[in-house]
Parts: sequence; C-alpha cells; structure tokens
Amino acid sequence: MIETEGLSRLYGRSAYALRDVTVSVAKGEFVFLTGPSGAGKSTFLRLLLREELPSAGRLTVQGRNLATLASGQVQAYRRSVGFVFQDFKLIPRKTVYENVGFVPRILGVPAAQQSRRTFQVLKWVGLQHRLNAFPAELSGGEQQRVAIARALVNDPMIVLADEPTGNLDPDLSLEIMTLFREINAAGTTVVVATHDRELIRRVGRRTITLDHGQVVETR
Amino acid sequence: MDRLSKPGRAEPGPIVRALQYDLEEALASLWRGRRANLLAVITITTAMFVLGGFLTVTSNLRQVVTRWSAAAEFSVFLRDGLSSQQRSAIDRMLDQSGLAASREYISKAEALVRFKRDFPDLATGAEGLQDNPFPASLEVRLRSAAVDRRALETLAARLAKTDGVADVRYDRRWLDRLMAIMSLVQWAGIALSGVLVAAAALTVANVVRLALYVRRDEVEIMQLVGAPIAYIRGPFVVEGTLQGGVGAVLAIVLLALAFGAMRARYGTLAVGFFGPSSLEFLPIQVSVLLVLGGMVVGCVGGWVAARSVR
Repeated sequence: MIETEGLSRLYGRSAYALRDVTVSVAKGEFVFLTGPSGAGKSTFLRLLLREELPSAGRLTVQGRNLATLASGQVQAYRRSVGFVFQDFKLIPRKTVYENVGFVPRILGVPAAQQSRRTFQVLKWVGLQHRLNAFPAELSGGEQQRVAIARALVNDPMIVLADEPTGNLDPDLSLEIMTLFREINAAGTTVVVATHDRELIRRVGRRTITLDHGQVVETR
Repeated sequence: MDRLSKPGRAEPGPIVRALQYDLEEALASLWRGRRANLLAVITITTAMFVLGGFLTVTSNLRQVVTRWSAAAEFSVFLRDGLSSQQRSAIDRMLDQSGLAASREYISKAEALVRFKRDFPDLATGAEGLQDNPFPASLEVRLRSAAVDRRALETLAARLAKTDGVADVRYDRRWLDRLMAIMSLVQWAGIALSGVLVAAAALTVANVVRLALYVRRDEVEIMQLVGAPIAYIRGPFVVEGTLQGGVGAVLAIVLLALAFGAMRARYGTLAVGFFGPSSLEFLPIQVSVLLVLGGMVVGCVGGWVAARSVR
C-alpha cells in the first residue's frame, strides 16, 4: 500500500527531516510512527498527504509515485486519504454537521448521499446528538471525534493521524485509539504518528521508530 | 435528519452545485467581513459614479452638439448689386457640390427685418440708418450632419473666391471645435475613471485577500480533502464579483438621484438653452454595461487574490 525507498526530505542545505527512509505499510495495516519531537514523523505524513515533495528517494501509494502526480491528480489522490491533526482543524463557524458535511458536498456527492453519509459517520463516532453544536461548545475529545468523522466521511483507503491524542487526557486518548482500531478493522489502512509510548503499548500494533529523520527500529 | 437533501427535486449538475456553494460561501463571507467589504464597495461605487457622471454629461452635450450640427447653416453673404449671372454661378456651384439640401434667399430688406425682430433693443438704432447695412444672403441647409467636412471646407473656400460673394460663414467650424474639446473632456474622464477603477480592483483584491487570510484554515482543509479548485477559489472570486456588482448598482442609483436633483433644479434653464429633449439620463444599455463593468472589476480583484491558493 505505502512504499518508500531511500526517502529523504532536506530543508535548506543540510537539515534532514527524513534521511534514507525505506519502509512499507501493507494494505489494511495499522502502523504507529513514533519517535521524539523533530524525529520526522510529521514530515513523513506531510509527504504522504503530498503537501511536500521528497528531496530524494521514492514514495509510492498503491503503486503511484506521489512525486510525479499532476496538480489535478494530487486533488484526486487526497480524496482517497483521510487526515486527523492534533489541533483538530475544525471550522469554528460551522456546526458539527456542517464541518463533516461540507466534505462530501465540495466533492460533488449528490445531496441525498451527503446527508446520509454525514449522519452515518457522526453516529459512528457517537456525536449524533451534537449535530448542531459549534466546535467551541465541544470538549477536546468530542472535537477530535468530529475530525475523525470528517476524515472518514469520504470513505478513504488510508487514514493519517498526526498526534491525534496530543491534546487529550489518557482516557480520552484510548477512546480515540479505539475508534482508529475500529476504522482499521473495517479494512482501512491507518498510520498514526505519536510520541506517546504508553498508548502504543496499550494498543499494541506495529511501530516504526524514527530518530533524527532515520528509521531506528521497526517492531 | 436528512437536512441537505430535498426529495423529489432533480439533482443539479456539478457546475451549478459549485456555483451554489461559491455563492453561499461568498454571501456568508460578505456579511462576516462587512466593514472591510463596505470599503471595497465604496471604492467601486466612487469609480463607477465618476465614470457614469462623465458619460452622462458628455453624452448629453454630444446630443446637444449633434442637434446644433444638424441645424447648422452654411451662409453665403452676397455683395450689393449682385448680377444675375453671378447669382446663377453661385447657385450652380452649390447644386454641383451635392452638399446642399435646400437654400433660401434672404434679401437685404428681410435681413433688416430679422435683425429688428431678433434684437429689439437695437431696432431703434437700425431705424436711424439711411442705408440698409445688412447684406443679402443665401442660407444653405446642408444635406446631413455627417457630410464630409473637407468637402465643405473646399466649397466654402471656392465660394469665398467667387465674384459677388462678400463672405462665407460656416457654423460647423466652431461646433467641430466644441466636439473636439468635448472628446478631450470625455477621454480625461475615462482616464480618471480608469485610475479609480484600478484602485477599486486593488481594494477588492486586498479585501478578498483579507477574507482569504481569515479563512486560511478552511482553505487548508479544503486543499487537504482534495476539493476541486472551483470550490477553493470560487467563493473568493464570487465575493469580489458581488462587491463589484453592488458597488456599481449603488453608483447608478446615486447617479440617478443626483441627476434627478439637477434636473429638478436646472431643468427649465436647460430646456431653454439646449432644447426640449435635453438632459437625459444614461441609456439603460450603458447602465447595464456599467454594472457588468463593476462586476468584472470585482471579479478581477477576487481572482487576483484567490490566485495565491493552489
């Protein structure tokens, strides 16, 4: 599903965020990406989202080299990827329902399907009773669940999460991880970047450890 | 819970859906940033008001000058004691030129009568004269307002050299000069409006850029979920277009109000001076063009701002 070969990302002349990374993630796999701050976890996810291009090496997703995608193809590729961030990235002026529902809308999904799918994912994350609430009225855990619902509403083949529990307490973190496990159980490939080793231990999945931009351990 | 769908209604096409989304987002953004948007609307209103004002004034003056041109006469003043051969030669020259639609002979006596009628205050002075000082003349009505000016100049020069002709007066010379001055004024107006329009487009671009900055997180999310570019940039372009349209409509309304006030105050004077059909507001086609122009200016401003989003 995700293959990298000698993947490097260089900032400036000598600051390597990633250096010669060769990893693979199988279809339907759940992988943790861990390491200290500045290890290159977020850079790896940005490359996977095609927000940035590699300085060297190859990054392929389902056999497609992301570096060679044209701008129209980038947008099409991103429609197959769901993302979740530490800071939730919800739109404050939109309600819970609108934050999730605007994705199928702008992707041209017919109106009837938009509302059905939006309600379905919000019910799945347990927020069917907060449809008309605004993000500011929600707890951190609830906001992250809205972000997860938004990532899932388009039925992606991969879900990427960058420190999704970074702003949450341990109980809520586990609750969010349970959601990711369920997403994965439905066949979606999940890549979660986190530095929370206790959480990784409790969830218990394959872990790729990065340090100074290089893979130092795979378990 | 099926809040977005409307059962029984046909699903619109992708372009209509994108436009619907862009319009909804643009209207919401206009309301949210109403203070900054007001600034953009005011600059467009100012630019379009100035442009519309110049067009109104110059089109009215042009109509008056055209009317005067149509009524302009070509007067051939004749020497006293003109022989019948000389008169025939003059008539022949006018007929052969093909420029004269009709002509009227004004005798010396008739010229005096006209003078007394047109200038009653001076009539007593004219009565004291022993000899009638007014020359006989031929008042020539020209064929149309669009006759070749060079041909008229040539005819006037030839007639002036003909025996029996004292002078040739050609009204259109000064009307042409007036028309040239008016064109200059019109171009100056258009140039000034051009500067104002450019300033308006820049203001719109900056206001839209501000809206883009406010919504940068939203734009980022849209980019990350793979939204088509029409959905990402569209709302900003529509926002600029709406600002332009509203500004131009406001300019037309203000111009109409100003025009109405001017006509109420100076209308009678204008009718006396320029004629019965003087003082007309911009034709509807020009008004529509001004509104469309305002929308184009706003659209360009919005597009310039939205171009930074990739």
